[in-house]
Amino acid sequence: MGYVAVTAGEEIIERAEQLFEKQRIDEDEELAVDQIDGQLSRLTGQAMSEGGLYAPQLAALAVKQAQGDTVEAAFLLRAYRSTLERFDETETIEPSEMIASRRVSPAFKDVPGGQILGATKDYTQRLLDFDLLNGESTDPTAGWDIDDEGDPEELTNVTELLREEGLLHDPDEPVDGEPTDTTRESVTHPPERDAVLQELARGETGAVTALGYSALRGYGQVHPTLAEVRVGRLPVRITHPYTDEEVTVTHTEVTESEAVVPVYEKRTDPQFAFGYGLTFGRNERKAIGMTVLDASIQLDSEDEPAESPEFVLDTVDGMDSFGFIEHLKLPHYVTFQSILDRIRSIRKRQQAGEENNSPSDEQPAEPPTTGASDDD
Amino acid sequence: MVDPHDRSDRFELIAACEEATLARFANDVLEADPPLSVRQEPRPQLLMQQVQEPVQRRPFNLGEVLVTPAEVELDGARGFAMLPGKAERGALSGAIVDAAVAGGHEETPSIVAGLEEVADRRREQRQREWAESKHTAVEFETMEDQE
Repeated sequence: MGYVAVTAGEEIIERAEQLFEKQRIDEDEELAVDQIDGQLSRLTGQAMSEGGLYAPQLAALAVKQAQGDTVEAAFLLRAYRSTLERFDETETIEPSEMIASRRVSPAFKDVPGGQILGATKDYTQRLLDFDLLNGESTDPTAGWDIDDEGDPEELTNVTELLREEGLLHDPDEPVDGEPTDTTRESVTHPPERDAVLQELARGETGAVTALGYSALRGYGQVHPTLAEVRVGRLPVRITHPYTDEEVTVTHTEVTESEAVVPVYEKRTDPQFAFGYGLTFGRNERKAIGMTVLDASIQLDSEDEPAESPEFVLDTVDGMDSFGFIEHLKLPHYVTFQSILDRIRSIRKRQQAGEENNSPSDEQPAEPPTTGASDDD
Repeated sequence: MVDPHDRSDRFELIAACEEATLARFANDVLEADPPLSVRQEPRPQLLMQQVQEPVQRRPFNLGEVLVTPAEVELDGARGFAMLPGKAERGALSGAIVDAAVAGGHEETPSIVAGLEEVADRRREQRQREWAESKHTAVEFETMEDQE
């Protein structure tokens, strides 16, 4: 395969870009970045999650610039982050510190802290709401009579409940040192669990969902029960340079999912295996898909795609797949000319062989020719 | 109780403050033209957010968070601030505000009052959001006894 630089007038390329930019302009008021941030937070959340960069306002800008293409928006965020220095790593946060706005446990009906539906349409019909065409939305919670609940409570993690009952094994040994950082070092196989979680956390939503789904459809052994799904805010904490005390800079909105997987057939002491998912933004299907993949990858099998860490991590990143798939539309003239030449050559040799073996004097038809020159 | 006179508390309140408010405080402080040197230019940088997953209790890198830190020295007192996002003006203003309170600048009472308002608003918002979420708390019932 070969690549050569091709030329096309810069002016023409600029025109094509101008035509692209024109598509965001219409006769109505221009969409403001704040509106995207406020009203389309699922889009910005997805872009931040896949870009691996929490920056709501810039994510909204990226979504606007990419005209709603989330992978392109994530690419823009990653390109921006690559120009920045890292100040530091945060203090390590435990997910139980999350200020949850939503927590449901499909596994435990009476989970301590309660089932909090939060903002969701999970239990209602998916029907088009034609009232939104009028653009006159009103706050449906305006008339709520809300009790004073005080400060947010920390909700006990379901895995802790399982651990208290001995249904979940204790960690094998404390892990010292900094976790792997896949933004700074390539993933090697077999990967460490921290690398798997980081790569899945910034995986492309559709890819994570599809690969997780493949395990549920029979291409894998994991069919988990979700212990809980949570949406909320995690503190971003650093050590203050003057006081040496931990201080909170901000909070990131995240979605978390935990699953339990029965492994009684494989162990003498029946316990649960587990899967874990955590990602920036409100993105429950990605967090759940990540959970299924985390549990599947722990089986470390080559039998099914979802259980192969190499397969999953090589295909789940949106930037990689976007780049490779979309580069195919760029000029490949030399590659294609080479393929054409090879096919013509093979056909000529075959025809020559048929002529030599043929008892008749019939001439074979000429292979089709193109106007392509051989000067590439 | 959050105390704006406490350096760590003040850091969190400045980080939660709007850029325009911080800029107004900083302008008030700089009106008398006190000696000011910028020790760290406000420039967007990254914090890698590390989380401990709850089962094996291993930390992993969730992703990076965009922040803008800045550090100044104002009339002999140092100030440090870090704002979420790309916020150069807010971070520099925040560092000036931090240094002003640390050095006992005459604007301290109004700054402290402003930061206390931020603390109140932050607490109210957090409580309101929690109350709204709790308003959707549900008890699922199994239907096995309802044939």
